Amino acid sequence: MEERFKEILAQYTSLTVEEITEETRFRDDMELSSLDFMTLLGEVEDEFDIEFEETDSVGLFTFGDAVKLIRRKMGDE
Amino acid sequence: MKYYPLTAAQNMHYRWIREYGTQQVSGVSIVASMKAPMDLKLLKRCVLEEYQRYGCMRLQFTKPDKNGEIKQYLSSRIPEDIKTVDLTDKGSLAEADAVMQQWAYKTFDGDNIPMCEIFIVVLPEGYRGLFVHMDHRLVDSSALGVMVSDIFKLYMHYQYGASMPAECADFRKVLERDLARAGDPKRFEKDKRFWKEHFDAYGEPLYSDIQGCGVLEEARRLHGDPKLRAADIERRELFVTVKDHYLEPKPSRRLFNFCTEHNVSMTNLILFAMRTYLSKVCGGQEDITIENFISRRSTHDEWSSGGSRTIMFPCRTIIKPDTEFLDALYLIQQTQNMIYMHGSYDPALIYEEARRRYGTPEDTGYVSCYLTYQPMMTYSTSDKLKKIPMHINWFANGAATKKMYLTVSPNEKGELKFSFHYQTVRLTEHDIELMYYYMMRILFMGIEDSHITVGEMLEKA
Repeated sequence: MEERFKEILAQYTSLTVEEITEETRFRDDMELSSLDFMTLLGEVEDEFDIEFEETDSVGLFTFGDAVKLIRRKMGDE
Repeated sequence: MKYYPLTAAQNMHYRWIREYGTQQVSGVSIVASMKAPMDLKLLKRCVLEEYQRYGCMRLQFTKPDKNGEIKQYLSSRIPEDIKTVDLTDKGSLAEADAVMQQWAYKTFDGDNIPMCEIFIVVLPEGYRGLFVHMDHRLVDSSALGVMVSDIFKLYMHYQYGASMPAECADFRKVLERDLARAGDPKRFEKDKRFWKEHFDAYGEPLYSDIQGCGVLEEARRLHGDPKLRAADIERRELFVTVKDHYLEPKPSRRLFNFCTEHNVSMTNLILFAMRTYLSKVCGGQEDITIENFISRRSTHDEWSSGGSRTIMFPCRTIIKPDTEFLDALYLIQQTQNMIYMHGSYDPALIYEEARRRYGTPEDTGYVSCYLTYQPMMTYSTSDKLKKIPMHINWFANGAATKKMYLTVSPNEKGELKFSFHYQTVRLTEHDIELMYYYMMRILFMGIEDSHITVGEMLEKA
């Protein structure tokens, strides 16, 4: 899942798959706008067949945060 | 030939063409020129090459079927030549702009015809460049900016040996992916549910007008319904004019700094100012809806494939007067973020849902004001070009489907440009002056004291 998520993410930023790490920040390192970020979450929902709650995006700052959330969502279902 | 249905964004423009009976509402035009002795033959060659690189320029539409529906396809034909027009006999750039403004009113009438026209222009004061006139179903403003930039990059490559610009993404591939995503039943159901729950939670929206409560009152009288919450949309007198205001670099910088400091986007800050002004002129109305344009352009391919990806969604804000400025901003931001996540939905379905639920009369709606925030687009592609004065101007298409449509964009001088397009049959320049003045009062009152409540702002503004 992590690798696929990185591949998706790399389409949104100038960073390559190899450059994305647990600590990579969506806003500061990848320069994602809120529109980019929410569009990304929508794509992640479709890709991994999960669903985010309205408040899930709050507190998601890094690639690692998102991976944890996706894992939790995949485990919940 | 492969035929495709229109995307939701393209359908939005096509729906307006049908509803208003003219393609003029879908026109978009720009002049992009530089003060330099450009090689016009070479520039022409670059334009022709761009037709190959940027597929959306070759997009055409079929004749409507019996239901009025059309399909799109990519024609392989590119123009044989690009016309050069010499406007140096006009005394100034402003006079040349006035001539080009007339060109921008021209419509693309017919089926299976090119919907993109480009001239090489020789302008007064030593400027040379391009005039581009297109149908919005081929490009939105961002895509048009990317296209112009790509043409200039090609020119710099051939003329000065700058590096060849990267290939543009395949328009067809991105289109197919968009259509597949919009057609994904799971995605569709999620988006549909989001909007259904939105109406369930908040009920019917309430119209608000830049000219105050009287507009809704008049609609209620006209339709004989004292509880009507929607007002009439102008369908006949579409003439539009433009009033630009420029916020100086220093105060603009303060707004940007505030956004960065509080993690709020400029779009949401401006949405707040607009909705609070509407609330003020509508007697403190708490329920205000503004249509906000969203550009579905996030990935590399989406940025470089062209196409029309901008679409508008209603941003409904219900804000109590005791809400503090910053909290109100975060409320708007939260609303907008959720809308972004469901951005592949066709907004036409939202309006249908409202009509079905609330039985509003034909040709009525809840919104008088529309917003686009456009981050700065630069056309300079090298240090060489950065030093050259540019003349870039976007032309109004002459027909507006919206009562007031505000485009906000930062420019090279560090200013924020507020460009108000408004229907002259209903609004005057004075209405726009007032709106801009109060929006600024509201914004600066808020950023100076983020704990001020919305109610206090309404009183003081």
